[in-house]
Amino acid sequence: MNKAAMKWKWMALLCVSGIFLLPLLLMLLASVKPAEQLTSDPYTLLPDRVLLENYRDALEAIPYVKYLANSIVLCVGSVVGTVISCSLVAYGFARLKWRGRNLMFAVMIGTMLLPWHVTMIPRFVLFSELGLYNHLAAIILPTFLGDAFYIFLLRQFFLSIPEEISEAARLDGLSELGIYWRIILPLSKPALITVAIFQLVASWNDFSGPLLYLSDHEKFPLAYGLEQFVSSYADQTHLLMAASVMFTLPMIILFFVAQKSFIRGITMTGSK
Amino acid sequence: MARQLPITILLLIAGIVAVWGTTISLTSETPMDREEVVFWHFWSGPDGKVVDDVVRRFNESQKDYYVRAVSMPGNNFDMKLFLSITGGDPPDLINQDDPIVGDWAFRGAIYSMDEIAPLEEVERMRKWLLPSARSLGEYDGRLYAVCNGLDIRALYFNREMVEEALGGPVPVELESVEQLDMISELCTQYTNGQLRQVGYLPDPRRLWAWGPVFGGDFYDEQNGRITAGDEAIISALQWMQGYRERLGAHAVATYRQNDQSLPNKMFPLLAARYAVILDGQWRVRDIEAAQEVSRTKGEPVTRYGVWPLPVVSRQGKNGWVNGNVFLIPRHANNAKGAWEFIKFWTGAEGHEKDAAETCAAGGWIPVSKQVVESIEFQTYLNEHPLFARFVEFAATEQVPTPLVPGASRYYREVNNLVQRVMYDDEVVDLTTELKILEQTMQEHIDRIQGRPSFAEEHADE
Amino acid sequence: MAAEARGIHRWSGWLFVSPWLFGLALLFVYPFVASLIWSFSEYDLLTSPRYIGTDHYERIASEIVQGKGVGKALWNTFYYAAVSIPLSTMLAICLAVMLNWQVRGQAVFRTLFYLPSMVPMVATSILWLWLLDPRDGMVNGFLSFFYETPPLWFQGIQEGVSISSPFQFGSKDGLTLMSLWGVGNFMLIYLAALGDIDTTLYQAAELDGAGSLQKFRYITLPMLSPIIFFNLILGIIQSVQAFTQVYLVSEGTGQPAESSLLISLQLFLAAFRDLEMGYASAIAWVLFVLLALMTWGLFRSSRNWVHYRGVRI
Repeated sequence: MNKAAMKWKWMALLCVSGIFLLPLLLMLLASVKPAEQLTSDPYTLLPDRVLLENYRDALEAIPYVKYLANSIVLCVGSVVGTVISCSLVAYGFARLKWRGRNLMFAVMIGTMLLPWHVTMIPRFVLFSELGLYNHLAAIILPTFLGDAFYIFLLRQFFLSIPEEISEAARLDGLSELGIYWRIILPLSKPALITVAIFQLVASWNDFSGPLLYLSDHEKFPLAYGLEQFVSSYADQTHLLMAASVMFTLPMIILFFVAQKSFIRGITMTGSK
Repeated sequence: MARQLPITILLLIAGIVAVWGTTISLTSETPMDREEVVFWHFWSGPDGKVVDDVVRRFNESQKDYYVRAVSMPGNNFDMKLFLSITGGDPPDLINQDDPIVGDWAFRGAIYSMDEIAPLEEVERMRKWLLPSARSLGEYDGRLYAVCNGLDIRALYFNREMVEEALGGPVPVELESVEQLDMISELCTQYTNGQLRQVGYLPDPRRLWAWGPVFGGDFYDEQNGRITAGDEAIISALQWMQGYRERLGAHAVATYRQNDQSLPNKMFPLLAARYAVILDGQWRVRDIEAAQEVSRTKGEPVTRYGVWPLPVVSRQGKNGWVNGNVFLIPRHANNAKGAWEFIKFWTGAEGHEKDAAETCAAGGWIPVSKQVVESIEFQTYLNEHPLFARFVEFAATEQVPTPLVPGASRYYREVNNLVQRVMYDDEVVDLTTELKILEQTMQEHIDRIQGRPSFAEEHADE
Repeated sequence: MAAEARGIHRWSGWLFVSPWLFGLALLFVYPFVASLIWSFSEYDLLTSPRYIGTDHYERIASEIVQGKGVGKALWNTFYYAAVSIPLSTMLAICLAVMLNWQVRGQAVFRTLFYLPSMVPMVATSILWLWLLDPRDGMVNGFLSFFYETPPLWFQGIQEGVSISSPFQFGSKDGLTLMSLWGVGNFMLIYLAALGDIDTTLYQAAELDGAGSLQKFRYITLPMLSPIIFFNLILGIIQSVQAFTQVYLVSEGTGQPAESSLLISLQLFLAAFRDLEMGYASAIAWVLFVLLALMTWGLFRSSRNWVHYRGVRI
């Protein structure tokens, strides 16, 4: 590739990222502007003065640390549940041959097409009869039952591991569980990390789970806290922006830290 | 190892925060010798502090109960309430302001007050309440909800703009809708072909107010019939449509008035975008705050006034009332305690002074004449003449959203129709549309009421 | 022993899959059946369900015919999907191709492009409500150079992709814009798929004298077609399920005048405002049937345009 072409491509990438990031940048700028500037002068980009107090005010309005702790509990619980259950099930679909396997897999794909509305209310009734209403467990426990999308991804990945490895392990006398635990899992690190990160972000942003199942504000996660914040401070954009930045920041940090493995995992699950 | 370091640090921080956060307790301890009353409400910020203060005063005033107020702001407050009742873990007392009383009463989601308190006490409460407050809680002849603060809407106006437009003194009250239209026209200004200032623009959601003012009725309670196709309501809608015809749908949509704010909208009257706006008594605080800011800056202070809705028809009512109502969910642990707190807050059974203090602190309109006439509240009214006008209006004939099962949908459907009329230049046959709406809602309500209500099913218990 | 040596695992297969099976029964089969029963009943969660036959379905049919309520919601969802899915597919593929270029800082660019889709929907909604305000928003500030009457976005009932009001963007178009901004997830999937394409194909094409555009059209696109197909289905599911942003930008009402009432919001209102679980279940079932038909139709048509490399998914 010649130097000129590379330069153009680089410029194009820069332009597009600029456009994409502009709203985020605006959000960041708005979060430090004083309230009056937003109402009187909405088009000026730069703040008159930088108000880090907006962040302090936003922090005072919601119990950030408490909600953050709840979010962490939910995220960790969900990720653990997801990774364990989805890898087990994907192993069953990918590395084992059994009668009815393809049918069950098709059924699983079918469940992905089901809109959540069909199952949302009956699930709520079921969970409340089980006494799970207003417990974080109502949100975490279902992740231990697998998720079709992640199972699909992991199955793709498991299928790409050569069969000979399993054969050799079986000849060595390893049980299926042993093969799963000692061989397949370690080989699948990138894919597992990908699934973990996807689920982590999903749990972090999950707001419908707490909406349905939680009513004790000791248990609210940050996503729900942010939504409450939006309704009570609807006319104070600067605070809303500050709260939004605080909410998004951990995920951005996480992504920067983990992006290499994340992208690698995506790329590898793509290859069949 | 180096690559794993940031992740380990992250995990460590997460772990510390998780442990720290779990140990934080947001709720205070209930004293052992008292019965707890869990109270859910949607106030937050400064209003939340007022609520906490009322709760504190109640807790200090007696020894049997301890109210624990939980602030749950959120767009879907009523959904959360409903889910808590069906989930089996409801609070003892709820405050909310949506038109759900009819639905919830019919389905048995809430207690009627006579299931909790002695009948005479409830009867006294009913007589003691202002008619508009009473109407917000009565369904099927029983008191299912107790209003604790009325929301009255009236026409705020910018005195300077109106004086300039009229070239003379501002009337104390509007004589007619035509006068309002005239003032609106005079105050509408364009710059470079763009609408810069509008005299008055009806909010689509306020057909609920203008319909009754024009003499119409949305619901005939005697016969249980939806009457959205009422002649007077059609006239009211035609009048609103007139504004869209004069200004154009695009301008109306861009200029959309809000009661609750979208992000970043201050009260439009204060931003000098309107000369007249229909809004509720809570705006008095915004006006007073803005005037205070001008005073401290040494700038000229804009003067504002408020008119009641003009009389259109002799059968016309004075406006639409909404308000905050207390509800006691079925299966609440401590309904009795909730009832005591209700009396304290509203001022019933001798708590008028406490109620006066509460309403003055929160900027709420008291629900009983006795509270209004108390010395404490009269002092407050003298300091806030604009607010006093609203308290006056509260005693006139104000009509609520019909308390009937299906009211939520009725409210929504009417608003959708009026939005169509106001935001689209397309010609809509108002009579036909309203008649269709009437019929649809009638079927809807008949279907819901096709079975016995909760009260009827359990009549013998 | 012999069975295992042959590779047929009778019990262990089912055992490994058992968590999902348990979930299937509890979280899918039971709710599936329950909601079907409820769709023929009047049910408010507080009292026991009351059988009313096909009343709910008749109501849905009449609303579809009149173009109100569920009918309007279905149209809105269709419009939203029909506009946003092709646009986001094109955008996602373009971005993926760009991110596949071997340039300096490739990893940084990949992160930057993905960033918007990590922002939670609540924050995204607030952000775009602010940006798309017809009077004070930055977008209209920019567009005012091109428009005499700038689009109303979330305060407008118009449909910008139509003959009657072209480029007058309304509430659904605001939602489309939001979804375009959050195209990161699809982009990543395409990126992974791009990495999968055999580079020898490109080399052979270059030897034959093919330019960039031709390489894209005759190699990249066909090779991507299975993924496009997969993302198409995902995109349809997402449009149907889109709730949080729809709720927030329309203040929970689908305003103005039901223009932003997408089907999942309509379902929510029926269930939790009107307390009509039976009716909501009926809507959910109608939706499910429509989706199933559409997916089946897509699968059939895929034989014509999806190029599998000899391997079915």
